[in-house]
Amino acid sequence: MTNWIEKVTGSFDDKRRWRAYKARKTTLPAPYRTAIDGVERYLMHSASVVKGDVLMQMLEDLLELIETAASDGTPIRDVVGDDPVEFADTFAANYSDGQWIAKERKRLAETIDEAARRRPERSGESAGRAPRRAGDPA
Amino acid sequence: MGRQMTEMLKGTLEGIILAILALQPAYGYEITARLRDEGFAEIAEGTVYALLVRIEQRGLVDVERVPSEKGPPRKVYSLNAAGREQLDEFWRTWSFLAARITQLHDHIETRGERP
Repeated sequence: MTNWIEKVTGSFDDKRRWRAYKARKTTLPAPYRTAIDGVERYLMHSASVVKGDVLMQMLEDLLELIETAASDGTPIRDVVGDDPVEFADTFAANYSDGQWIAKERKRLAETIDEAARRRPERSGESAGRAPRRAGDPA
Repeated sequence: MGRQMTEMLKGTLEGIILAILALQPAYGYEITARLRDEGFAEIAEGTVYALLVRIEQRGLVDVERVPSEKGPPRKVYSLNAAGREQLDEFWRTWSFLAARITQLHDHIETRGERP
């Protein structure tokens, strides 16, 4: 879908969603506005989501939570709990696919898979310790 | 809520929410209220919401949006077949863990005081 202009400028759709998010935020009553700005700031630092659409999904989900709380009159403390960091981390975990670290996690798993498949090259007793699998050369 | 309690709940809260939804479909705030009734006090609404987002992403619930008089439409969550399967798995895992930990505790108790 992405055309070459968007490759240069970033996705237009994400930008549109970002503007809509910012606009909706301004309609929140003051304490809720302060709370969402605080959580948003923390998430931008901690979650390091690099995919624009995942980032926007995260912020829109957050906004929905805070908007619902505001219209129900749920106190901020009841929403984020005694430990707001705990809440924010639990929340951010849902969007881990979009984090840059996701790539490195995959790479580490693949490196270890590759290493575990190989048998030690060293001769001697230790060579016998590598478990053989079907399909391994004899 | 103690640190240890928070840590232990972290791994089980998703299953607990599925168990509550197995009884009947519910709004997010109803789930938090039910948790409180069941003795799980002090669980933040936001934490429950975060887990509901995850449960929804993984396709364990069906979600119906109901328009609300004020604020955004409210989501009603109901457990679907995949969710029920996940819940069965949760109970199996829980029973296994509970049995093992109790057994370990009994072993230590019966050995009496340490030398």
